[in-house]
Amino acid sequence: MNHPSRSAPASFRDRTNEFRSAVESARRHVAPSPASSSAASASASGGPLDDSRSAASAHSEFNRRASKIGLGIHQTSQKLARLAKLAKRTSVFDDPTLEIQELTAVVKKDIGALNNAVMDLQVLCNSQNESGNLSKDTTNHSTTVVDNLKNRLMSATKEFKEVLTMRTENLKVHENRRQMFSSSAAKDASNPFIRQRPLVPREASDSNANPAPWASDSASTPLFQRKKTNGDHGASSSSSPAFMQQQQQLAVQQDTYMQSRAEALQNVESTIHELSNIFTQLATMVSQQGELAIRIDENMEETVANVEGAQGQLLKYLNSISSNRWLMMKIFFVLMVFLMIFIFFVA
Amino acid sequence: MALSLRKKQLDLITRMLHLHQQQSSPDGGGDGEEEAYKILVMDGPCISLLSPVLRVGDLRRHGVTLLLNIDKARQQVADAPAVYLVRPTPANADRIAADAAAGLYASFHINFSTSVPRPVLERLASATASSRSAHRVARVADQYLDFICLEDGLFSLAQPRAYVALNDPAAADADITALVDAIALGLFCVVATLGSVPIIRCASGGPAEMVAAALDARLRDHLLAKPNLFTEAASSAASSFQRPVLCLFDRNFELSVGIQHDWSYRPLVHDVLSLKLNKLKLPAEKYDLDDSDPFWVANSWSPFPKVAEEIEAQLAKYKQDVDEVNQRTGGGRDGVEFDGTDLIGNTKHLMNAVNSLPELTERKKMIDKHTNIATALLGHIKERSLDGYYECENGMLVNGIVDRNMLLSLLRGKGTKEDKLRLAVTYLLSFEAPPPSELEQVEAALRESEVDMSAFQYVKRIKSLNTQFAAASSTASRSNIVDWAEKLYGQSISAVTAGVKNLLSDVRQLALARTIEALMEGKPNPEVDNYLLFDPRAPRSGTGGQFRGLFREAIVFMIGGGNYIEYRSLIELGQQSQPSKHVIYGATEILNGVEFIQQLAELGQKAGLGGGSNNLSQ
Repeated sequence: MNHPSRSAPASFRDRTNEFRSAVESARRHVAPSPASSSAASASASGGPLDDSRSAASAHSEFNRRASKIGLGIHQTSQKLARLAKLAKRTSVFDDPTLEIQELTAVVKKDIGALNNAVMDLQVLCNSQNESGNLSKDTTNHSTTVVDNLKNRLMSATKEFKEVLTMRTENLKVHENRRQMFSSSAAKDASNPFIRQRPLVPREASDSNANPAPWASDSASTPLFQRKKTNGDHGASSSSSPAFMQQQQQLAVQQDTYMQSRAEALQNVESTIHELSNIFTQLATMVSQQGELAIRIDENMEETVANVEGAQGQLLKYLNSISSNRWLMMKIFFVLMVFLMIFIFFVA
Repeated sequence: MALSLRKKQLDLITRMLHLHQQQSSPDGGGDGEEEAYKILVMDGPCISLLSPVLRVGDLRRHGVTLLLNIDKARQQVADAPAVYLVRPTPANADRIAADAAAGLYASFHINFSTSVPRPVLERLASATASSRSAHRVARVADQYLDFICLEDGLFSLAQPRAYVALNDPAAADADITALVDAIALGLFCVVATLGSVPIIRCASGGPAEMVAAALDARLRDHLLAKPNLFTEAASSAASSFQRPVLCLFDRNFELSVGIQHDWSYRPLVHDVLSLKLNKLKLPAEKYDLDDSDPFWVANSWSPFPKVAEEIEAQLAKYKQDVDEVNQRTGGGRDGVEFDGTDLIGNTKHLMNAVNSLPELTERKKMIDKHTNIATALLGHIKERSLDGYYECENGMLVNGIVDRNMLLSLLRGKGTKEDKLRLAVTYLLSFEAPPPSELEQVEAALRESEVDMSAFQYVKRIKSLNTQFAAASSTASRSNIVDWAEKLYGQSISAVTAGVKNLLSDVRQLALARTIEALMEGKPNPEVDNYLLFDPRAPRSGTGGQFRGLFREAIVFMIGGGNYIEYRSLIELGQQSQPSKHVIYGATEILNGVEFIQQLAELGQKAGLGGGSNNLSQ
């Protein structure tokens, strides 16, 4: 629904101008009345206005910060939307890694800052509620505002986590595809040489000289070399003597062994990560109160019923203690006894 | 464009809650909006207006923190804006002025649920002017929201006992005029929310004509002002070029629907367990029954035994799903090896299981809810042998035959007094002239059971005075054949199959549905030709343009009390016709059979026809 902003939305429903003119005419009627009453009313209204103003200033600090946090959350969720769009792109080669990383860092910083701000706000809210003589409605209002902000921040964080998960999955898919494309040559070549594995080490020791620097490098840092070997394979798979290839195969096999270990470690790490996510998810599910589905009039009815019930109980108690004939008789009796004793002893 | 009353009302309320600021587009295209946290203050009728449409969670999302009742003592919240949604009565105006004078809130956005009359506005203005707090009032607006929208196509005006007031022989003219005006105002709100000026049709004579005339006058006056609500609505959305037809009916048009027993789930729940504002209160707990419950949406119009089967099927499916989840997570753990992929597979299963947990709990809750409701219903049905009543009434109304033994045995047997009374009145209404011997037997049976006869006598009397509506209900059963025969000669195959389906189906088409169909088609039809037509857009002079043509959308309003049974037949009408038509149904209040028979009894007593003891069981 893209409309240029309407100049006067629903103008027929708006009776504000009518109201203002009615106020004006009412004021003109009131003004000719004696100036003293108007002065009195002015001073009277000035009094409560001052009081409310001081309370308002303390409270508007809260309001300002709350609205700033709200604005921050809104902007962060916009950035998250952009990030999600970027992360969804699944082309292998045109990967906007740098952009994504920048954006991720920015969003993480934002969320951290917002978290701190919300904590501060909650501290402020608690201190105000306890110390100041604010009304119960105000305390309810502030607490609800803080809760609402916390919920929004939590949903933004959840979204962020989902985007990150999606991003890692995409990365994995890219990696797999890359491996498929570029190491297919290595895999093809390695199979026929598996049977000749006992031959390879001997030959490797013989021909250590030639691929030495290269082979030793590969043994030390498998990860870095994985890419290098892939790239080298891509380059040299087409033309190389079988001899060189055998060297490469040995290095690659050691390499693949290390690589598989690294992968397994990574898998374990991500599994643990996912498990922790599951646990936090369970925890939040348990703790999230079902306020969302309560009906409006249900609340009202229950409070009314409770108040009336309490009133009834109080009335009953009042009746029971006010019409306590037994108490009166007991007091009377004690007095009489005392009087009797007094007369008895004195007389 | 299909009219969805509920969505339009929700849009209005949302706009009101956002203090009428320009909404940024949903995908965050607008710049950051300063979202203030506001307080919502309402009075009783407006709370019941809002409760089927919004929940507390939705309100929180729109930034409302506290929800207060205007009549309770409230305390100061110094820097929050307050949104008021109240009816425009003088008492409310006084309270608002008192709040403004005491400076309870930072700014006041006052919304009245209908148009606020000038005296009340001036009262508010003078009160705030004298306390010099008028600067706090940021906005005063009329929202034209004063109707309760229970579902997408069902609304109620929440004007209780309208039938009694209109048909009371001792009612003062002024009272009736006031009631008619109130109904017209409520209808005006509905029409304004929908945003298109309808053509009004009604039968001549009776309250329907009065309401139609009042509504027509109101609309004409409103349309004179430009711009008005309808030009704004036309410019805002792609409004359909077709105008809907607004049909007004009086309850006396078809009395039997108001009191009969029905066998489908939703009318049963409404009748037996008294569903109010989509809220159901059982002795053990409370339930909500509305569009968010998929089982209710799917099964509420099915007959009761089928519903019970459905619940069992859902329960079996649920158990199966739970077992599957358990197996996947529990069984998978047995064979764990330290192989990377398997571990990942396990956690994936775990994660899926955890993600499906909320959905499973929801389903379980829903199944539990409906099981409890069905059990409660079953208890009542057995106690009152409601199935017997339904069969008997259906036999009388649809087939025109009466099983005398069954009738008398039911009257003497189980069932509350209202049930027996309803059966007797249905008997009275299904025949033009019941044989007097039978009638006497029925009356004797009623007296035996100590049933208050005032309603019965009242219906007898109005039946003798007014043979018109009796004819309508009796031809309801036989006209299916006539319609079918007519359609056979020269209409399309689809009409024939529709007619056959009607004959063969268990549900008879109510006279109301037939009339609506005739009115919407716009072809000459002896039943509806003498219905009055009001067109607020046509010039007042002249014959009032004979707007005849096909209508795609209809708004049906029943003065005096509506019913879920009528609602269902209108929904079916909308679905069965080709191309599908859209029908919205509303009434002054949604009554179930028990309440309506009580209103009839009250009328009988007022007319002095009460016979026998006065013991209507509450």
